[in-house]
Amino acid sequence: MNRLEVRSISKAFGGIQAVTDFSLDLRQNDIVGIIGPNGAGKTTAFNLISGVYKLDSGKILLEGRDLTGLGQHQITRAGIARTFQNIRLFKGLNVLENVMTAADPYSSYNIFESIFRMGRRKRQEEENREKSMHYLDIVGLKPLAYENPESLPYGLQRKLEIARALATNPKVLLLDEPAAGLNPSEVGEFIGLVKRLHRDFDLSILIIEHRMEVIMELCRWIYVLNFGELLASGTPTDIQNNQEVTEAYIGEEDEECLL
Amino acid sequence: MSVQQLINGISLGSVYALIAVGFALIFNVLKFSNFSHGGVMTATAYIGYLAAIGLKNHITSTPLLIITVIAAALAGGFVAVIVERTAFRRLRVNKSPVIYYFVSSITMGMLLENLVTIFASSNFYSYPFALGSQIYQIGDFTFAASDFYMLVISIIALTALMWVLYKTRIGVAVRALSFDVNTSTLMGVDANFVIMATFFASGVFGGISGVFLGINYTLYPQLGKLIVKGFIASVIGGLGNITGAVAGAVLLGLTEVLLIGLVGSGLTPVFIFVIMLVFLLVRPQGIAGRIVQEKA
Amino acid sequence: MDLVFSVITFTCITLLGVMGVFVVTGLTGLFSFGQASFMAIGAYVAGVLGIKYHMPFPLAIAAAVLCGLTAGLLVGLPTIKLRRDYISLVTFGFGEAIIAILNNSVSFTGGAMGLSGIPKYTSLWLVVLSAALCIYIVANFKYSKFGRQCLALRSDELAARSMGIDADRVKLTAFLLAAAITSYAGVMYGYYTTYVEPGMFDWGVSAEWIIIVFFGGINSLTGAVVAALTLASLPEILRFASEWRIVIYCVIVLIILNFRPTGIFGEYELFAKHGRTKTSKGA
Repeated sequence: MNRLEVRSISKAFGGIQAVTDFSLDLRQNDIVGIIGPNGAGKTTAFNLISGVYKLDSGKILLEGRDLTGLGQHQITRAGIARTFQNIRLFKGLNVLENVMTAADPYSSYNIFESIFRMGRRKRQEEENREKSMHYLDIVGLKPLAYENPESLPYGLQRKLEIARALATNPKVLLLDEPAAGLNPSEVGEFIGLVKRLHRDFDLSILIIEHRMEVIMELCRWIYVLNFGELLASGTPTDIQNNQEVTEAYIGEEDEECLL
Repeated sequence: MSVQQLINGISLGSVYALIAVGFALIFNVLKFSNFSHGGVMTATAYIGYLAAIGLKNHITSTPLLIITVIAAALAGGFVAVIVERTAFRRLRVNKSPVIYYFVSSITMGMLLENLVTIFASSNFYSYPFALGSQIYQIGDFTFAASDFYMLVISIIALTALMWVLYKTRIGVAVRALSFDVNTSTLMGVDANFVIMATFFASGVFGGISGVFLGINYTLYPQLGKLIVKGFIASVIGGLGNITGAVAGAVLLGLTEVLLIGLVGSGLTPVFIFVIMLVFLLVRPQGIAGRIVQEKA
Repeated sequence: MDLVFSVITFTCITLLGVMGVFVVTGLTGLFSFGQASFMAIGAYVAGVLGIKYHMPFPLAIAAAVLCGLTAGLLVGLPTIKLRRDYISLVTFGFGEAIIAILNNSVSFTGGAMGLSGIPKYTSLWLVVLSAALCIYIVANFKYSKFGRQCLALRSDELAARSMGIDADRVKLTAFLLAAAITSYAGVMYGYYTTYVEPGMFDWGVSAEWIIIVFFGGINSLTGAVVAALTLASLPEILRFASEWRIVIYCVIVLIILNFRPTGIFGEYELFAKHGRTKTSKGA
């Protein structure tokens, strides 16, 4: 059984068909990429899988369990976590709290225990704090735990988003253009981070990216979207050599332009 | 519903429509609910009163009404522009989140209301037009003269607004801004000026509606609370949509008249609340609005 | 001396109201314009039970808070799902509705002429202790999973939902906590003034609490407390300027919003283990 099965999902907005009949399989411990020109529907696909948009048709199955139609938070608690293309960190909370908040749904103490500081509150808060510090440590943000997320440089904000997503205990991690805006050395570091996460946690990872070095280096399999439809899918080498893919990105070769 | 009730409902609705439009104009352009509008209405209603008192010995009823309305409208425009400059301009420059506009508008509204209370005390004043008692009779139905004039003035004002919005350059600019402030500025629209103009327009409507409310309910400082009716009408019609706001206002007027007839004016707020709640749950985007999906 | 006690009592009661607003508006970002109506519910329920049924004080308090919670549930459940602008509208409407009901049920509540003869059970110690306890409760709420999730929702609801946060549940919890605190404040109020009428709980009261919270800083509990203590006691001290009091508050708040939008205290917290290093302009 595949860890994540996306079966023929479609979504239209008004008259525009954003995604048509898209299917995808993600195995245990897989790293799969989704690429395509801008506007191809990649983030829409993520939004459909994570429950931000309602599916017009199709199904999402996580380890056999049908998640179609569930709310965002239910899908996340089932095991699908994500990061965002435009970083969406929580202002008003510091770095550590941003991560703790993602783990909070797992704390079970109730409001009375909370406001009177009794019962399970102390223990669970400490557990959360430790775990969250651990995630920060993994991405290298531990020394900045009490900083304001807005004061972090871009690359570190992206890392924080990853740490936060990890705190939800996911089985599947959706990374939406995680390397956007990173300089070459940061990209290398990022690739290393993903490899480590992949190795240390039992994660299946789905990445949307434009930076080809990331995709080629990390992914076992790649799906190419164009105008909301699947254009091609295959191994990195397959995709590199695929004529249609090149055309989709760069456009057809114009005979008259050949010099 | 009797025809008389229908007439009363539409009358009431036309007053609400002016409030709602003033409200909707700002929502369109700045995307927040401008609660200071109530304060503007109240303040300008009083200014109109001053004008009326000043001139009452020289001019008779009907022209007096018209001049009062014009005075209040202009005063409203200017007050609104001042409000924009003091309460909202900086927030735009700072790119503050919407919450702050909201709180700023409430605060400004309270400020205006309390200033009026200080300068005019909490007594009730009425406009010195004899219009209140004048009535027209058509067949079996009575129209208060004031209602009649209010309806006519409302229609004129609304038509003028539509003309400006759809047939003039500044109207295009306002509509462009309501789609996207940033892109419009890139296309050469002077956002500051257009927003100022929009506030002026909303103030004009505020002034007119202030005078009408003053006529209907006499003048008192808490007049501004009726801004809520405008808000409700806007919401029913679809936030930001001008025609929707008018439609919503008329509907609200009719509903209110009906409810007053059925349960009395004391309990009407309760029913309005329940109806509104149900409406929002069933069709939150209003009659004319569209649900905008937030993107991730 | 009596005057001093009176000032302290009213200040503490206002503090309770402000705490309610802090939880629902400051922490969670829901603009509830009808908070004062919970105070009305608390005062009237406890008042009627005390006068007509001679219910012992603690029971009356419990009953009043329970009623406040029920009302909060009835209004809150549908309201929290609406968008921000609408929440303010609906809660305002709720406030108006409550006042209308109170005005019109003369047999029960005395209508517009009010309810008098409530026993004076609110002692100075009781209010001060209540206020202190309330601050304790709200602080604990803020630094717990509840507070964090509220702040996350306020900051970015979509992202919060994607991190597994059950938005409706968290918002409702905050709303109910605020309702409970405010109803309790109502009981304190009624059993101190011994007379209540619907006009005491109108929109102006709710708005004043909101202004106080923004004055002190929506991100700072310390700020909200200090603002409440200062602004509530000031009217008595500045009796001569009472007409201008609200005008002055409004002007100050407008200045704050323009130049220091996070409030006078920004993100500062007394007893915070780790302060924020910077204030964020747009939290």
